[in-house]
Amino acid sequence: MINPNAAKSGDAVISIRGVSMSYSGRRVLDQVDLDVCRGEILVLLGGSGSGKTTLLKHVLGLAKPEAGSITMNGVDITCCSQPELGAVRRRIGVAFQAGALFNSMSVEDNVALPLRELTQLADSTIKLIVWMKLIAVGMSDAASLYPPELSGGMRKRAAVARAMALDPEILILDEPSAGLDPIVSAELDELILFLKRSFGVTILVVTHEMESAFRIADRVAMLYQGRLIAVDKKEQFARHAHPRIRQFLDRQPDAMPRVAAEEFIASYMRGSKK
Amino acid sequence: MTFLEQVGRAAIVQVEDAGALAMQFWSVLRKLPRVLPVVGARRRWRSVVEQMLTIGASALPMAGAMALCTGFILALQSASELRRFGAVELVVEVVVIGFTRELGPLVTALSVSGRSASAISAEIGTMVVTEEMDALRVMGLDPVEFTLAPKYLAALITMPCLTILSTLCGIFAGYLFLAFSMDMSLRIYFQAVAEAIRLRDVAFMLVKSMVFATIIVHIGCLEGLRVRGGPEAVGHSTTAAVVKSTFLIILADLGTTAIFYLMGWSATG
Repeated sequence: MINPNAAKSGDAVISIRGVSMSYSGRRVLDQVDLDVCRGEILVLLGGSGSGKTTLLKHVLGLAKPEAGSITMNGVDITCCSQPELGAVRRRIGVAFQAGALFNSMSVEDNVALPLRELTQLADSTIKLIVWMKLIAVGMSDAASLYPPELSGGMRKRAAVARAMALDPEILILDEPSAGLDPIVSAELDELILFLKRSFGVTILVVTHEMESAFRIADRVAMLYQGRLIAVDKKEQFARHAHPRIRQFLDRQPDAMPRVAAEEFIASYMRGSKK
Repeated sequence: MTFLEQVGRAAIVQVEDAGALAMQFWSVLRKLPRVLPVVGARRRWRSVVEQMLTIGASALPMAGAMALCTGFILALQSASELRRFGAVELVVEVVVIGFTRELGPLVTALSVSGRSASAISAEIGTMVVTEEMDALRVMGLDPVEFTLAPKYLAALITMPCLTILSTLCGIFAGYLFLAFSMDMSLRIYFQAVAEAIRLRDVAFMLVKSMVFATIIVHIGCLEGLRVRGGPEAVGHSTTAAVVKSTFLIILADLGTTAIFYLMGWSATG
């Protein structure tokens, strides 16, 4: 039921199988199955607290699930050794939500960091690669700036450039459009599509922004309360009948809190009249 | 919660603290060679130099001024007592021994603790909050090697230097006092200093300063790494870092002094 449109499993670069996790008794991820196929843009949608950040942490190997497996390029990162994990990670580029750029380094040095640390390339080569990446994300004239001097959109672009530094097979973007105005957010969507077109990179985007999701996605997956309630091509997804998805698509608020608040106020008023 | 439960929980927290300290210490110790110039990873020693400037060099005015004041106070206080025995010249010995054995390392450590323990925990805490630590891990870089180890090495190098300089400031303050109160000349003062100063005390001073340096960086890093949640947690961690490192410095001072005393190394001879 979960994965009707997934391509043959041989095509999957990331495959998540039955991943569960709970923090202090609360189920955060519940039997999540998900495949990310080569060359596609998969958008993982979910509201706040739906478990999407937790799932991302697991995919990056920053946390270990209680149950299930996460296989990347044939290596199960939930039980592999540290060097194996390192090898897998070298083929992933990650742009974190706030960019996670290092404040003590210029944009140029931030992008150069993985190249300097993890390759034996000469400085001149590194400089060339860095400039190519910065031009690709449209940041070439901000190369010498420091992260605190950048706007939100520029910071995200720089983070994408750093994520692309080692020419990863998989690019993972955490909330690329959160906190950006519509224009900058649309520019970032264009950038993501451009990266897919020109580098053929597989992209996993975690977001809660519907518009951006539908613009860039090949497939959309939706997490709700730790469960994956739908994975579909975006056209089918938009017609999905699940009430939570309809609610998300139509921007309807949850009914519960308001009723509870009204009841509380009513009882408070009754109490104060006595 | 019953009283017993509270005591038990507090004890567990303390044991956890100690365990985390020990684990972090071990992991940094293993990575320390990587940040050395020549033998270490390329470029890493540059961040050591940067850290030496922020932890050490920029603390110099403050540590120096504090030592100058403390030296003057020590001279003033001891002179008023020693005058009754007609032994004002002994002020030189009091200042020299007091500073080399005790006040030099302590005053320096307290000033560095106030400046750097908070700065380190704020820096590392912010890196945790903004996912920079995660970014390092995902890039395959070890946060311990990349951010912690340079700070340790920088502190271990600069703290003894700072301590020497502030001790000199303190001793110079003793001269200022004696020059004003009894017109002692610089030459005579420094002759007296040369007689009073002992190599063993200086070695003791350097050992102490390195112990204090470790405490400051260690607590700063640990509190920073413990930050969970949003930016307000960073504020808590900086406070905790300063309080804990200051307390531990005094405790370690007591410990090392007691050891040196019991070994009979502090006897004047």
